[in-house]
Amino acid sequence: MAGIRLHVISPLVLVAVGKCARDPSVFVRKCAANALPKLHELRQEEITSAIEEIVGILLNDRSPGVVGAAAAAFASICPNNFTLIGRNYRNLCQILPDVEEWGQILLIEILLRYVVASHGLVKESIMSSLLCIESSHSEKDVFDVNVALEDNGIPSRTYDSELVNLVSRSYIEGLGEYLTRSSDTNARSSDLNGARFTSGKTNDDVKLLLQCTSPLLWSHNSAVVLAAAGVHWIMSPKEDVKRIVKPLLFILRSSGASKYVVLCNIQVFAKALPHLFVPHYEDFFVSSSDSYQSKALKLEILSSIVTESSISSVFKEFQDYIRDPDRRFAADTVAAIGLCARKLPKMANTCVEGLLALIRQELLTSDIESGNGEADVLIQSIISIKSIIKQDPSCHEKVIIQLFRSLDSIKVPEARVMIIWMVGEYSSVGVKIPRMLTTVLKYLAWCFKSEAVETKLQILNTTIKVLLCAKGGDMWTITRLFSYLLELAECDLNYDVRDRARFFKKLFSHNLCSQVPEETNALQENKDLPLVLVECIFRKQENLAASEPINDRFYLPGSLSQIVLHAAPGYEPLPKPCSSLCDDLGQFSNSIDRTTALGEEWTGSSSNGTDDPDTSGSLDEESGSNYDSQQSIPGLSDNSGTGDSASEGDRNCDPLIQISDAGIACSNENGASHSGFPDLEGMMSKRALESWLDEQPGSSSPSASEQIQVRQSSARISIGNIGRQVKAKSYTLLDPANGNGLKVYYSFSSEASTISPQLVCLETFFENCSSETMSEVTLVDEESHKALDLADLTLATTASSLTSQSDLPTLVPMEEITSLEPGQTMKRILEVRFHHHLLPLKLALHCNGKKLPVKLRPDIGYFIKPVPMDMETFIEMESRLPGMFEYARSCTFTDHLGEVDKDTDESSLLKDKYLVICESLASKMLSNANIFLVSVDMPVAAKFDDASGLSLRFSSEILGNSVPCLITITVEGKCSEPLKVSAKVNCEETVFGLNLLNRIVNFLVESSLNT
Amino acid sequence: MLFLKSMPVIASPTHYIFQIVRAGITFLACTQVEMPPLMGIEFLCRVADILSDYLGELNEDLIKDNFVIVYELLDEMIDNGFPLTTEPNILREMIAPPNIVSKMLSVVTGNSSNVSDILPGATASCVPWRPTDVKYANNEVYVDLVEEMDAIINRDGVLVKCEIYGEVQVNCLLSGLPDLTLSFANPSILHDVRFHPCVRFRPWESHQILSFVPPDGQFKLMSYRVKKLKSTPIYVKPQLTSDAGTCRISVMVGIRNDPGKTIDSIILQFQLPPCILSADLTSNHGTVNVLSNKICTWSIGRIPKDKAPSLSGTMVLETGLETLRVFPTFQVEFRIMGVALSGLQIDKLDLQNVPNRLYKGFRAVTRAGEYEVRS
Repeated sequence: MAGIRLHVISPLVLVAVGKCARDPSVFVRKCAANALPKLHELRQEEITSAIEEIVGILLNDRSPGVVGAAAAAFASICPNNFTLIGRNYRNLCQILPDVEEWGQILLIEILLRYVVASHGLVKESIMSSLLCIESSHSEKDVFDVNVALEDNGIPSRTYDSELVNLVSRSYIEGLGEYLTRSSDTNARSSDLNGARFTSGKTNDDVKLLLQCTSPLLWSHNSAVVLAAAGVHWIMSPKEDVKRIVKPLLFILRSSGASKYVVLCNIQVFAKALPHLFVPHYEDFFVSSSDSYQSKALKLEILSSIVTESSISSVFKEFQDYIRDPDRRFAADTVAAIGLCARKLPKMANTCVEGLLALIRQELLTSDIESGNGEADVLIQSIISIKSIIKQDPSCHEKVIIQLFRSLDSIKVPEARVMIIWMVGEYSSVGVKIPRMLTTVLKYLAWCFKSEAVETKLQILNTTIKVLLCAKGGDMWTITRLFSYLLELAECDLNYDVRDRARFFKKLFSHNLCSQVPEETNALQENKDLPLVLVECIFRKQENLAASEPINDRFYLPGSLSQIVLHAAPGYEPLPKPCSSLCDDLGQFSNSIDRTTALGEEWTGSSSNGTDDPDTSGSLDEESGSNYDSQQSIPGLSDNSGTGDSASEGDRNCDPLIQISDAGIACSNENGASHSGFPDLEGMMSKRALESWLDEQPGSSSPSASEQIQVRQSSARISIGNIGRQVKAKSYTLLDPANGNGLKVYYSFSSEASTISPQLVCLETFFENCSSETMSEVTLVDEESHKALDLADLTLATTASSLTSQSDLPTLVPMEEITSLEPGQTMKRILEVRFHHHLLPLKLALHCNGKKLPVKLRPDIGYFIKPVPMDMETFIEMESRLPGMFEYARSCTFTDHLGEVDKDTDESSLLKDKYLVICESLASKMLSNANIFLVSVDMPVAAKFDDASGLSLRFSSEILGNSVPCLITITVEGKCSEPLKVSAKVNCEETVFGLNLLNRIVNFLVESSLNT
Repeated sequence: MLFLKSMPVIASPTHYIFQIVRAGITFLACTQVEMPPLMGIEFLCRVADILSDYLGELNEDLIKDNFVIVYELLDEMIDNGFPLTTEPNILREMIAPPNIVSKMLSVVTGNSSNVSDILPGATASCVPWRPTDVKYANNEVYVDLVEEMDAIINRDGVLVKCEIYGEVQVNCLLSGLPDLTLSFANPSILHDVRFHPCVRFRPWESHQILSFVPPDGQFKLMSYRVKKLKSTPIYVKPQLTSDAGTCRISVMVGIRNDPGKTIDSIILQFQLPPCILSADLTSNHGTVNVLSNKICTWSIGRIPKDKAPSLSGTMVLETGLETLRVFPTFQVEFRIMGVALSGLQIDKLDLQNVPNRLYKGFRAVTRAGEYEVRS
């Protein structure tokens, strides 16, 4: 039914498929999985999520057949939805060997992508060389040592690792990045610095994947083998990669088409890690039944894996190939010989001799015109010789001379061009060559008329080169020869040759006029310019051709793009390491970096957010309001609780900030005794009495169902007390230096706006630091649209709905300050609607009739407002916001240290360190964000000085739309050391939640630096 | 165009095309987006295998005649661009292979479909390759070792490469759900192996034992490679000398290491170099054919006891060409029944869950694979 591709019935089909996905019959479920991609192709937005959900169900299936089909559906519907995989990862891995072969191919790829995305690359694998190039050479050396160890003294080749680096980088980079990299080599790998490496030995998921894919290397479906080999290539430790070699070579025995594909892949492998294939060079010997493409690939692989031990037998093979009837292949062989010789300089002499013999043999046969193939072989062999000579010209003097001698018998123009080029290039090499030069040139001049166009051009070039480095008696002859050649060339039929001749004539006009060497010297000064020019043109050639960059682009092994060598539509490089968003809290506690490497948008915005607090004001003001301290006696409050393993002290917090403390206020309704801890509690409460005041009776309703012992306390803290600590940070809006002595600073206030919930209140202070009176000070909103344009474009995409939503003014008009005396400070409450919770708002400050542009930076911590709630509501709401609505990060918190230290010598009441920590955390949170402290949980069983398990809960809702936003802070570590704090945010608005989380982590960390 | 013809993967501006050529028929698959190319190629190979299995052999006329079956097969094998059922045994259950009875039936009843109505039982079972209710009067299982020898002998007569590519083919005619265990006497000689999906990986990893629930009927249990063999059963010594525009050729064939069984169906094939205008070849044993595309075939059959077969003759080179510089490569075919040249031996075959009356059979055969002699 899914085959009927009608939009109208697709909802019906979806329902049917959904039912079938839960059918008891395996076959029905499998068919349901098969139907999903068809449904998805209808491109109906509304059903996509439902389809993904069904895919998730099917992936979780027990039957291998269903999983295979589900994998296919997954690959075509939502290849990047890694959460679906993450949930079933283990199951999928275990079932993988039993999945039908076609499903295996896709499933392997999916799992690979998942592992890379969630765990990053493996430290021991080839991909890790990404880092070694920049970090140090030592790692490279280690690698080389490994290579040498493995292969018993095969010389280490450092250039390999560079290639490996290139290959592995290509796997991850998209095309766009590739282009930028080629333009700016310095910037390379900077984007991958964030890439995290995991150890294959310790990471279970990686190990599991490798374990499950290794039997697949024995599959009789070659596509499965190649896919599994790709996984091992990327993920497995370097010393284990060789496991893929034999299976890959085995596929070579299957059909011609797959042989070609496999060879394409082996070629890349062999270039990156030649030592893998070195012992198996025999497998790349060409058999006559191979197609031409396969033969050429085999040659290329052979030339890249050849070593000194295998070179002799490889050369024997090559000699056979040269006699192959397919001359194109023979020419390729000759080229391969050249490559081998360049790779193994020791063999260069043998190669050159062989090639020269070949040339002689070619020359013996007079029928070169008859077949193009012969000419190709000849040209190729001269190219090979040329490339060998280039490495060390002086060693091969005899070879060069021999080539000059054979010039007479070589008739193919391209070959002649090459030899003539060598005449010019190596004219000063050795002893004999300079002596021969005049003869050679004479010969060339003699046969100039009958040459092909390209040869004529090359003769002219060469003559100039020789002329430039000629000395003594030869000079005169050569100059004569040159002018003769020019005359000939000027009357040539071909205009290229004529042009070239005229050009040279102009350049050398002085040279030619003078004719006599003595005069040339005399006129040296005058001719400097053209000579220098000529020198530049002709002498620099060597250097230019010296290094040719590797511009190959590599694609994932086994992909179509690797075969056709361009990115096919739909090709995706490996996901960025560790890019997947996991809801596994444990993973997050490991790394802070990970979240920064999330999506690009998030990275961008969060980093922008962290920049903001730089302006943090110097003044730590008390938050203006004067609250009276109250004291009251701690009292008992009714409580529920059964267990004694954990205790919770609920701290309740409303805008007036009441922190309740764990204290003697515990009672035990259920009769379970808590006698184990009376002392502690006593201590705590004593301490509490001193600093924490006021009781809040019955602040939370008792619940019998709760299993944890809730010790509800009641010491309400005096606001004056905490007020000392809760300090709203102030930011400078205008510096006196820029504003003619007017200083403006602002701090976010926790008060709600009276006009609209979308407005954020700011307390703004205007201070006149100059000596003159200021008048008509006011802040107005500049054109509000510009705010966004100024912003980074990438961030614009994340702009929240706040921007478009309302027609509220950006800035509620401020009451104008008519005059400001020197030294006077005026306070105004600004009500501002920020367009975006990260981007600064552009305002204009009018003062004395002048206009000063200022930027108002938002603080996401004040885009929320506190919502009083109790513990149960909090937990209930939290449970309703799981998975993708939950984000966590961790950081270190050191703020408490100073105070803890202070306390240690003061008294023996160690337990109160908890209080200090709670206090400092809470005040830190409350002074940076407009939130409500719901509770503080403290582990009672905790060891001395161990703060692990302490957790604080805050609640709030987003200003505009009242979406609840829950924050939980959990502490780990020892009281007297920097604590590891993980912050968790549960919020339906993902972007907002993440930004808020980033902000929280930022101020938690940053504050520690300040204090 | 000729260049394109030999390319397995062709990139056109809009599509990517995979192709394989089997018996003169080109199978094409095309895609517009990225996918594993081997998957396409492997699937085409399967299609070709199954078609030739159904139709007996593969040629244009057969495909035209059995168009309905070919279409039905493709319909079952691929769905929405993803391979669906490729296991030949299952397909056989769903779509009856053509035979005289079914043809008669379709003529009489006018019902041309031979797709079975019932769902094959295996699709629902945990062993998708085996039907659940198999019943045989005689329970038999045959294990064949089919080996192909790949060898390259270079111009100097040196054996450059010699290896065996072997397959264990099982013809299983057993009732119920049997569980078989096959072990080799000398598994260590195997260089590399590949398995049918039915083989369990664990026992092989630990003890090198093949443990499997077999599909019904004929199937390829495993394939293996044995490398670095030292000798070949026969020798081929070609000699080509050329002088003054003519070329003399002589090829000697003989038994080198007698494998103990007769070597038959020896065929020597080579492509004459393009520079040869005409050839006059005779042999003292067997027949020699030169085709118009300059492929020369010398069928020897068995090597007689009394004489060594040899081929000799002269060839005329192109005008202007004095000596021959490119040399043909000789492809040798032979077959030896009853011997597995790799030396692989089956130790024992244990069966579980099978009735008592049972016949087990073993066979071995070695053929020449890519056996090449360069001259």
